[in-house]
Amino acid sequence: MNCELFKQNVILLVYDELPDDTLFEMRQHAERCLACNRELESAQQFRADVSATPVLEPTPNLLASSRLRLQEALETAEQHRGWRAWIFDPVDWLRQIRFSPALAAAILIVGFAGGVMTAFRMQPVSGGGTTPGQSTEASIAGIRGITQDPNTNTVQINYEKLLPASARGSIDNPDIEKLLLYAAHTQENPGVRVESVSILSQKCHDAEVRQAMMRALLEDRNPGVRLQALDGLDQYVKEDIQVRDTVIQALLHDTNQGVRTEAIRLLQPVKADSAVRSAFEQLAREDENEYIRSESERTLASLPDID
Amino acid sequence: MSAFGNTVGAIGSRAGTSPFRGNMVSQALRRVDDNVLIREAQRGNRAAFEELVRQYDHAVLRLALRLTASEQDAQDIYQEAFLKAYRNLVSFRFECSFYTWIYRIVTNLCLDHLRKKNVRKEEAPVATMQDGSELNVLDQVADDRAHSNPERDLMRRELGHKIGLALNRLTPRERMVFELKHYQGLKLRTIGEMLSTTEETAKNTLFRATQKLRGALAEMR
Repeated sequence: MNCELFKQNVILLVYDELPDDTLFEMRQHAERCLACNRELESAQQFRADVSATPVLEPTPNLLASSRLRLQEALETAEQHRGWRAWIFDPVDWLRQIRFSPALAAAILIVGFAGGVMTAFRMQPVSGGGTTPGQSTEASIAGIRGITQDPNTNTVQINYEKLLPASARGSIDNPDIEKLLLYAAHTQENPGVRVESVSILSQKCHDAEVRQAMMRALLEDRNPGVRLQALDGLDQYVKEDIQVRDTVIQALLHDTNQGVRTEAIRLLQPVKADSAVRSAFEQLAREDENEYIRSESERTLASLPDID
Repeated sequence: MSAFGNTVGAIGSRAGTSPFRGNMVSQALRRVDDNVLIREAQRGNRAAFEELVRQYDHAVLRLALRLTASEQDAQDIYQEAFLKAYRNLVSFRFECSFYTWIYRIVTNLCLDHLRKKNVRKEEAPVATMQDGSELNVLDQVADDRAHSNPERDLMRRELGHKIGLALNRLTPRERMVFELKHYQGLKLRTIGEMLSTTEETAKNTLFRATQKLRGALAEMR
């Protein structure tokens, strides 16, 4: 706080428009600065002077005659409905029914549903002896439409329910696999994603599962999930070029050192690969992490020279 | 109980004994009352509109009178503001309070009036009554306090006269912001909403207005 700033804000202080922290600073400054303290007193006196002077107030007669005059004018006044007289305004209609008792509970449900949720529809699982369980509770997946019976408080709401269910079966079961794949890349809970990736990593012989692992390694926000994905891809780095390239990408760009360290380990069997060698050369030259640099140098040192 | 009744009951039950909470409750109830009246008025219920008018018309008339210093002009502005509100009530979408909305209409009408009359010329703060007679503004307020000090009264009247002259030197917008801030006690954020501008602009306008007033008063001493 300086004197210039104080002068700019003194009127706001006097009229109670300052946030508490600025108010505190100004009061502190006024205690130390005589000139600003005088400025504050002058501003306060100004407000007091203006407040002390007489002000015009409407007389009861004036108010009464104004009301009477308005009443007479309202007799012939019309409200502008304009195009609204001819067109159904859903916004206006929804506002009108806002306080309708029949809608109160429905609005509460919609409010807690928090927007449209995606629903995964569970197909009956076959061959694996599964029995999908069903819960009696239902969550709302989405509202498809709301209509009100004219001139009544009755409304009809069409909505979709999300019913909790469970499935049990072998990981070789296609439906179980489908659920696991869905969980691996859509669930908000990282713990669920880690579990599903961990289970799926046992099935990386499946091309679709391997694709999911690679996607998890490059895109998942959680390093635990990415580590699990690496674990699943471990045995495919040699035979699958796409897996190798994905692991190289993780080594070069992942933000987590644990993931990068694990990627270095995975690439050891294929360190002679030119793309892998090139990645290690780049890291040895310019990576900002000392451990990564030294491991890259060590890996390069163990490679035979290229003639 | 209806959902509406539940809402009102819930608000009431949370009132507690704290004056702050009590004030919040009364504001919440007032808001609920206004919404009910507005909806009725939007359906063409004139009695509902008149009830709404009665809740705000004294404040509207006071503002108009203070800015125009003319009972006739104040009444005209009062009439025009509420008729405008009635005609356009259908387009009121509850995005702000009715209070803010009606004040927005009134302030615009007052600003138009101030601009037309060009009240920046220096003149005594004289009010024009309905019958056409003029009255010194300062004479209107009777000092009915016991043991009033005549000398102090005279000094106050003289100061009031000077302030009146100084107010006339402000631009219409500065005058409006000062009126709403000092006399009506509104927050600058609300003033900004009413004048369809930002809080920052209202702040700057208040600063300019008070600088001018303080300067003018210092000159006159």
